[in-house]
Amino acid sequence: MSFQFAYLAGLMPNLAVAALVNLRLSAMIIVLALIGGTALTILRSLKIRPVNALIAFLISFIRGTPLLIQIFLFYYVLPAIGLDLSPTVAGVAAIALNSSIFISETMRGALITLDPGQIEAATALSLPRHLVWAKVILPQLFRRVLPVLVNEATIVVKGTALLSVITVVDVLRTAQQIASASYRPFETLIGAALVFLAINLTISLLGRRIEGRFAVQRA
Amino acid sequence: MRMAFDPTILVQYWPLFLQGAWLTIQVSVQAFLLGYTLGIAVALLGLMPGRLPRLAATSYVEVLRAIPFIIILFVIYYGLPFSGLRLPAPLVGTVALGLFASAYYAEIVRAGILALPRGQFESARAIGMSPLQAMRHIVGPQVARAIVPPSTNMTLTMIKESAVLSSITVPELTYQGLVVQGNTFAPFEVFAAVTLIYWGITIAVAGAARRLERRLGVAQARGVSRNRLAASYLLLERERAR
Repeated sequence: MSFQFAYLAGLMPNLAVAALVNLRLSAMIIVLALIGGTALTILRSLKIRPVNALIAFLISFIRGTPLLIQIFLFYYVLPAIGLDLSPTVAGVAAIALNSSIFISETMRGALITLDPGQIEAATALSLPRHLVWAKVILPQLFRRVLPVLVNEATIVVKGTALLSVITVVDVLRTAQQIASASYRPFETLIGAALVFLAINLTISLLGRRIEGRFAVQRA
Repeated sequence: MRMAFDPTILVQYWPLFLQGAWLTIQVSVQAFLLGYTLGIAVALLGLMPGRLPRLAATSYVEVLRAIPFIIILFVIYYGLPFSGLRLPAPLVGTVALGLFASAYYAEIVRAGILALPRGQFESARAIGMSPLQAMRHIVGPQVARAIVPPSTNMTLTMIKESAVLSSITVPELTYQGLVVQGNTFAPFEVFAAVTLIYWGITIAVAGAARRLERRLGVAQARGVSRNRLAASYLLLERERAR
């Protein structure tokens, strides 16, 4: 058998349609993770001892175990304790939790680069705590973590390919289905790889654009 | 619905978990060696004068980093027989994992070399060191200090990514977990065990890396003393008393 470019070109429309699944799930996950990561960060800043101990345990767990295992935990284990989730919901929840933790850790690193004088100034103006976060810290924090968020977005997109393992019909699973009917796994998998290449290179490019714009604003 | 934790499953199947964990460790070590060697080669290629080598190195890194590992793995696993080469799944998996990691190691090594102030090597030579001495005492330690922390991070990512090899039937830890799960229908016990073993492996590797960092004198977290007010927002942990 030889590599058939015509066959590869012919199946790209099908894979592009399947890519919408990955894109939609990725968008949901990134929004959830950004909200979750920010909430976790603010919660940790309150320094309530048992809460922070629990979060530290969660961070160690999420960072210390494979994402695939975390997806399996949501998919296989939660039903065993009475919480039946669809593969899509279980997968989105697993990746969103994973990503929230990584975003919160990034924010932890960026927070200490903020100017403490601004907190003093905000407090001197008797700005309430929630406004110090909303008006002073978060706008600067988001700007600082933006490059990492762009990178995290590409990680999330790649993570959605793992959902094919728990039967979510995404690009990879569609490719596998096509391959099992046509016996041409090489072309179809190359097609799936090209889809992810296109998505992630676009995200990186857009990210660099947005960063450039922010840099201009700051100057 | 079943709530009770049944430890007899773990007692009965522990040899499988052990075999799986051992293969995970073996695969990770081999992929690390392959990945780092390739990574250094790609980094050096990217630092060579001329546009073509740099373009080749950049494309290698960008392409491998943009594609999910599971797809890289499948392309190699299903693509090799296509070109008439049939290799055992653990070998294919190890090579794929090494390739995947090499793209990230290449970036780390490149950044580490670029971060080195210019003229360090020449200065060392000028005060009478041999090239070997200059590498060993001046350049080596500085590059090592820059690349060990990110390399540790990437290695932990790679170890965790090895779980994906289960999908091409490499009998590593995750695969064995899925086998036991299929036999017992006890997901809670099985994934608790698998999770704990991965956690143990990554904690051990992270601990070893921290000891290495301390020996190399990697800068410790800046103990910026801050006023209490700013700390109540900007620090997420209580500062430890020294």
